[in-house]
Amino acid sequence: MSRLREEFTTITWVMIPVAIAINIAVGTLVYTAKIPFVYLDSIGTVLVGVLCGPWAGLLTGLLSNLIWGYSGLNPAYTPYFLVGGVIGLFAGLFSRWGWMRTWWQAILAGAITGVIAAACSAPITAYLYGGVTGAGTDMITAFFRSMGFENLAANFLQGLAVDPLDKAVTFLIVFLIARLLPLRFIARFPHGEDLRPAEVSPATD
Amino acid sequence: MAQLNSLFVARDSPIHRLNPLTKLTLTGLLLVTGLFLPGVLTNYLLFLGVILPLSALAGVGRQLLSSAWKIVLPFAISVFLIQGFLWPQGTPLVYIGPLSLKSEGLQFAVVSTGRILMIVSSFLLFSLTTRPDHLMNSLSRIGFPSNLAYVIVATIQIAPRFQSRAVTILDAQRARGLETEGSLRTRARALAPLVIPLVLSSLIDVEERALAVEARGFNRQGTRTFLVEQAEAAWEPAGRWLMVLGMAAIIGLRVYLAVSR
Repeated sequence: MSRLREEFTTITWVMIPVAIAINIAVGTLVYTAKIPFVYLDSIGTVLVGVLCGPWAGLLTGLLSNLIWGYSGLNPAYTPYFLVGGVIGLFAGLFSRWGWMRTWWQAILAGAITGVIAAACSAPITAYLYGGVTGAGTDMITAFFRSMGFENLAANFLQGLAVDPLDKAVTFLIVFLIARLLPLRFIARFPHGEDLRPAEVSPATD
Repeated sequence: MAQLNSLFVARDSPIHRLNPLTKLTLTGLLLVTGLFLPGVLTNYLLFLGVILPLSALAGVGRQLLSSAWKIVLPFAISVFLIQGFLWPQGTPLVYIGPLSLKSEGLQFAVVSTGRILMIVSSFLLFSLTTRPDHLMNSLSRIGFPSNLAYVIVATIQIAPRFQSRAVTILDAQRARGLETEGSLRTRARALAPLVIPLVLSSLIDVEERALAVEARGFNRQGTRTFLVEQAEAAWEPAGRWLMVLGMAAIIGLRVYLAVSR
């Protein structure tokens, strides 16, 4: 309980809406600029997980999809709120385990989170939406369906083809952003110290 | 670029005047009915018999239809093509080249499309007729944490500003010679120069916001009073309980059907 309370400081509560707005703004920018292979609609969620802790990341991910749906931008995203939450949770856990201190560990943490995200979203797509998402990635699902896989397996394989890369890029961008932010700013967050590279001693701030 | 705003359309209708909690319960009842009751056409009947008439009564029928159409159409095309033609075994109806349309796949596609239509349109009905601040106000009255209410209202205010900043950054980087059109490689290389400035500029005022909300008693403990009074019809609290009972009955019926089979 105390761990939970320690994550939810005022700066965390203020950061969450900013993070959800980042998810939405970057997600639509990437979509508008037709950047291939990635969605990048969870940068804000990962940022909160890393800076504020796993429970704050979980809450940001859950709320992000709910608000995305309620705002009418796309109500079909709402049932995926659990996936968003899981991404934020794992971002926080990996950061606590020190995986956000080097670029290659960040990429690896992102790829693992991507596999978990694919496993969480496949049942939602398969059982709620009849195995499709209405996006271009349905071509990949169609490929696996034509090979004889059933819906759940085809959706999971589709997710495996897309999510690990997307989350690896997301985690790498968050790693880069954390490097670009002033240490004084990062230190205001409950879990800012998880990001310090090993060679910087806490006293030099 | 699609802007995130509240979808709310101001009208003076009986639906708009309902307590947001009543509408939220109704959305829950629609979702439970559509997802738990069996039948190929259940969701279409809900859409045509309940959601569409209510949206017409609220004067937002046109908005609901056009938004639902834009979201559901790509789903419907995908699900009919993929499940209709790529269903592993089944009774073929029509042959097109090496592919055949299977009746089982087709029926699955009809059910799935109905479900998507029902989910999307019941959410749309709710957000078209409910102001975000009214929703938060009535949720806070029944004990919804004020911190969460702040997050939801603040996001709806901040997101459109960030989205217009994204357009500015896109234009500025293009003006400086960043190529955002062309081959996959060119577009992939545009990623960092677009995304990193957007995220960094969004984080600038976080500290000031934290000071501002603290100065306004954000962490104050204890009960709060409300500035705006919430009016609701006398029948609404009872109506909400009835709808909750209805949801329980439908789930119970579904469990009974599954057990007795």
